[in-house]
Amino acid sequence: MEAVHELVVRMEKITKIYPNGIAANRDVDFSVRKGEIHALIGENGAGKSTLMKILFGLEQPTDGAIYLNDERVNLSSPLEAISKGIGMVHQHFMLVPSLTVAENIVLGMAPKKGGLFIDYKEAVRLTREYSEKYNLFVEPDARVADIAVGMKQKVEILKALVRGAHVLILDEPTAVLTTQETVELFQELKNLREQGFTIIFISHKLKEIKELTDRITIMRAGRSVGVYDTDSITEQEISRLMVGRDVVLKMDKPEAVPGEHVLRVEDLHYVNEWGKKMLDGVSFSVRQGEIVGIAGVEGNGQRELVDILFGLKLPDSGDATVDGQSLIGLPQAQIRTLGVSYVPEDRMTFGIAQTANIQENMVSDRYRQKKFNKGPLFKMKSLNDESDRLIVDYAVLCKSRAQEVGMLSGGNIQKVVVAREFSSDPILIIADQPTRGIDVGATELIRNRLVDLSRAGAAVLLVSADLNEVMELSDNLIVMYNGQIAGYFDDGQWDDLMMGEYMLGLKRQSDDEIRRACHA
Amino acid sequence: MRDKRMVLFGFVRGAAAIALALAVGAIFIFLSSDEPFTALRYLLIGPFVSYHGGVTAFNTQNFYQVLAAMIPTIFTGLAVCVMFSANQFNLAAESCVLVGGFVGSLIGIYVNMTTGWHAVVCVLVASVVCGLIMLIPSVLKVKLGASEMVTSLMLNFVLLYIVLHFLNYHFADRSKGATMTFPFLESAKIPSIVPGNSKLTWGFVIAIIVSLLVWIFMYRTRWGYAIRMIGINESFSLYSGMNVGGTIILSSVIGGLLSGMGGSLEVLGRYNTFVWRELPGYGWTGVTIAILAKNNPGAVPLAAFFLAYLNKGCQLMSTHSDVPSEMIDIIQAAIFLFFAAEQFLSGFRQKLVVKTTREELMRTESLTATEGE
Repeated sequence: MEAVHELVVRMEKITKIYPNGIAANRDVDFSVRKGEIHALIGENGAGKSTLMKILFGLEQPTDGAIYLNDERVNLSSPLEAISKGIGMVHQHFMLVPSLTVAENIVLGMAPKKGGLFIDYKEAVRLTREYSEKYNLFVEPDARVADIAVGMKQKVEILKALVRGAHVLILDEPTAVLTTQETVELFQELKNLREQGFTIIFISHKLKEIKELTDRITIMRAGRSVGVYDTDSITEQEISRLMVGRDVVLKMDKPEAVPGEHVLRVEDLHYVNEWGKKMLDGVSFSVRQGEIVGIAGVEGNGQRELVDILFGLKLPDSGDATVDGQSLIGLPQAQIRTLGVSYVPEDRMTFGIAQTANIQENMVSDRYRQKKFNKGPLFKMKSLNDESDRLIVDYAVLCKSRAQEVGMLSGGNIQKVVVAREFSSDPILIIADQPTRGIDVGATELIRNRLVDLSRAGAAVLLVSADLNEVMELSDNLIVMYNGQIAGYFDDGQWDDLMMGEYMLGLKRQSDDEIRRACHA
Repeated sequence: MRDKRMVLFGFVRGAAAIALALAVGAIFIFLSSDEPFTALRYLLIGPFVSYHGGVTAFNTQNFYQVLAAMIPTIFTGLAVCVMFSANQFNLAAESCVLVGGFVGSLIGIYVNMTTGWHAVVCVLVASVVCGLIMLIPSVLKVKLGASEMVTSLMLNFVLLYIVLHFLNYHFADRSKGATMTFPFLESAKIPSIVPGNSKLTWGFVIAIIVSLLVWIFMYRTRWGYAIRMIGINESFSLYSGMNVGGTIILSSVIGGLLSGMGGSLEVLGRYNTFVWRELPGYGWTGVTIAILAKNNPGAVPLAAFFLAYLNKGCQLMSTHSDVPSEMIDIIQAAIFLFFAAEQFLSGFRQKLVVKTTREELMRTESLTATEGE
């Protein structure tokens, strides 16, 4: 049946290897039919964004071919992609806040008066024309700084349409929208589909995908794991393909014996820069010797929670304490001296200094300690011994401690991060996606170490989008949905179906049940 | 395996940049000269060789002059290295050389001290003053987020005119035709280490020792470590609990100290009185040197030597042939371009990365495959 559908986009055997050696796409085939809404779904780091960046000319594929309407093309820049009818709406808007909607829409291609001055009236007319034609209501004279997020998104879509796009890429468009705005957006997108536009829709949210799209391409670990008609596949199947539950790593962990409270989070509220409520009264505690897992679809407040706990964001209200001392407003150095260590989600930005060597990366939190210094000088031998010990302890595959850390594989880079964070005798470990995108061996090692540390008395807060991981590792489990705790489980009796219902907002425990998370 | 390839790549890239830059220079020489081979000979081997009636010999005085020319540029090169290592594009080394020279001169003229100590005090006070000056761009950066590149660039001119003001209205020797200060006291001058007029002073020895000290500081102390880590990845350093703001200020102050030291050693070693009426240009050369040395203080003397040699060669070329000495600017600019351009030979590097990654992927896959069975 494939033959009767006209393929507007066909990407064949796309491979992308970044300069740091990360293989983001490996032999990915991807095609989109004319006039469909096609979902591209996968965990973060599965390679969806890279694939779309390649289609929009932002990145060049290492290997593979791109065909638009059966014509082989070479998209060396977004300009070229736009001229070939591809438009992209980024998750974070690319608009000039101080200009009006109409000015933003014609930016770079403004109608001219007398060849020199921008014909603003014509810009407004053009905006109105497109706005009416495609049923995307915007206010042409409003300043972008003053308009709501939903309208900004429409401006972005109009921008692409005015430039002649017939294939629209939307990168997680609903992540920043309120429910009402989402409903509106979906109506508009369906409308565009009727007018013959083709839409590629990147998302994590299964419900939205079921509601809106015609077909789905699912990606995992840089590869495409299948293309399906949306009607012919259930949400459960999609989630299974997405997270790849077939490789289940069974953990045999001894019973947890929780001790004193270490981390207490009390009624945290946080509204993000776009006015969206990201944390809405979150309270829980983590005790010595236990692993508390936080599960949830990404974008439901986990990111903000962790950022607040490690001093990157200030909450609007509420408190978080470690051993009774508030973390709020403390610089990272002081948070660390309280005995908190942190495995960051974005290991390349926060976890390592890429061009520094392994040793330098392993001591970044402790290089000032007495045992590594003698007067003004480093005791090189102690530093070397420390890093050699950690390399052996955490089985970092490398030639020597002097090897540049950015040249290691993803799993070994994470081992370097974990070796540092786990070895500072922490009383609280915040592990944010500790095993995302790394190989099985490294994953197993990191998970085992987390369990060992918790059984030795550390409090562990594990945030992970890998459902398998939180379910296996956690002693107690919190599910977050929409900035709130949707469920708290302490009986070890959970499965992915049940989790899914809480994660996707189909179910919510009573307030009393949720309050148990505070172990008061 | 990755490492070896990348290290080799670094060398190839460096050599290729210099070779290409010289080739560009050679093209211009061939275009502009009627005697290109004579010109090239002076450019390339002139600084070492003298010709007298057909007899070629090692030219000691020229060689000393090359070494002497390295004194201020080693210091500015080191200063820029320290600041660039912290990812601070602070360009005020240029004016700090001037201020350092001026402050050193004033003490050398108006303060009476015993021989030996006098010069030391001149240089130290000049260094401290310049270190304090660097608080301006760095504190503005840390506290207010003002771009240190803009503020330091502006600061260069502010300092130039402040120095000129004091020179013109307060410290000028009115008995002289040109604007200059009174002569330095003998006790303040930096003595030569070789006979002759080459101005190769103890400043050179100090420059080499300071290069070593700065290397130790950058690679063997906690402060240097913090400076380098912050330069590589500020977010990482912040998360590791480093004092990012304080370290940025520290790196700038050290940059100022070094520039001021270089300026005062140069002025007290080369001249009898303070004669600079404009920015001396050593700060800019320092930027080139830091880039050539890849911010490694240990490589700064080599880079400084390379540039001083090239400079001398160009000078000789313009004296003895019909090529203008401005040629050095073309060659320097070309080297600068090839080195600074991150993308230079990046296609080649990417191929290496792809090849290595593919090999590693295949290896891990075959490993997991065998484990699975």
